[in-house]
Amino acid sequence: MAMRTQMLATLLRARPTAMRVAPAFARPSSSAHGQETFESFTERYVNFFKSAEDLFEVQRGLNNCFAHDLVPAPSVIEAALHAARRVNDYSTAVRIFEGVKEKVENKQQYQQYLDELKGVREELGVSTREELYSS
Amino acid sequence: MQALRLARPRVALRPISGTRSIAATANASHTASPSASTSSQAAIPLSNVEAQWERLSSDEQYQVHRQLEDIQKKDWRTLSIDEKKAAYYVAFGPHGPRKPHSNPGDGLKIAGSVVVAIAAAGLVFFGVRSQAPPPPKTINKEWEEAANQRAIEQKLDPITGIASEGYSGTGFVQHK
Repeated sequence: MAMRTQMLATLLRARPTAMRVAPAFARPSSSAHGQETFESFTERYVNFFKSAEDLFEVQRGLNNCFAHDLVPAPSVIEAALHAARRVNDYSTAVRIFEGVKEKVENKQQYQQYLDELKGVREELGVSTREELYSS
Repeated sequence: MQALRLARPRVALRPISGTRSIAATANASHTASPSASTSSQAAIPLSNVEAQWERLSSDEQYQVHRQLEDIQKKDWRTLSIDEKKAAYYVAFGPHGPRKPHSNPGDGLKIAGSVVVAIAAAGLVFFGVRSQAPPPPKTINKEWEEAANQRAIEQKLDPITGIASEGYSGTGFVQHK
């Protein structure tokens, strides 16, 4: 008799945990918090840089914008460059391209960014760090 | 991935009038020594700021900041490469908190030092061993076989051990 109860206890202990503890309080992960799409992210930061009025704001925005797991769209970079121009900080403009270089996956992508932003770079006279230190 | 560290230390060095009034009062030492700032009022050349930045006094660095601030207000297309480089260096160059922890060539130096340290340790190890006394006279095969014979003579451990019938173990012999 004692042997049988012991066996029963062993069997009960061996059952998988999920069977024993009913998930009464567990709640399936919700999708109620919508993910921000890339487009709305871009729009948000373009608007931010358009309204940023001092260097601190611009640099704060850049820090936030480059902290996401994505490379900001060229339109965001362009807005940021114009913001840097507005607050008269050339070094920040150079730094933006350094940030892009850091975020992209390979040199081709960086080159694509440079080509895409060639117009605004020439308009503002922003050179990249490589251009500054190669000559 | 290396995080972007945008210019924070500049706040301490460049009190902007109005919005940065707290920083301005905190850096009152700049303005508290008028004799020093007036004596170095001549424009500091920006052509080689990288080389001399570390040697500039904080007043001179502040003056360079002010100079660059005025320069950056101009059309950026008209800036010379030296002015651009100076502006970039002062804001984001490798000085102050951005100073790199290691210099190029440090890896080789570290690897070399490790090799030298290991060689020195090996030298000490073999040096000490060469000065050691010889091993005890009991640690050799002959002595161990003699010990076996003596154990059998004395009928040591006669049931399961060395002096038992049909014993096939090595007894006291440990040398191969």
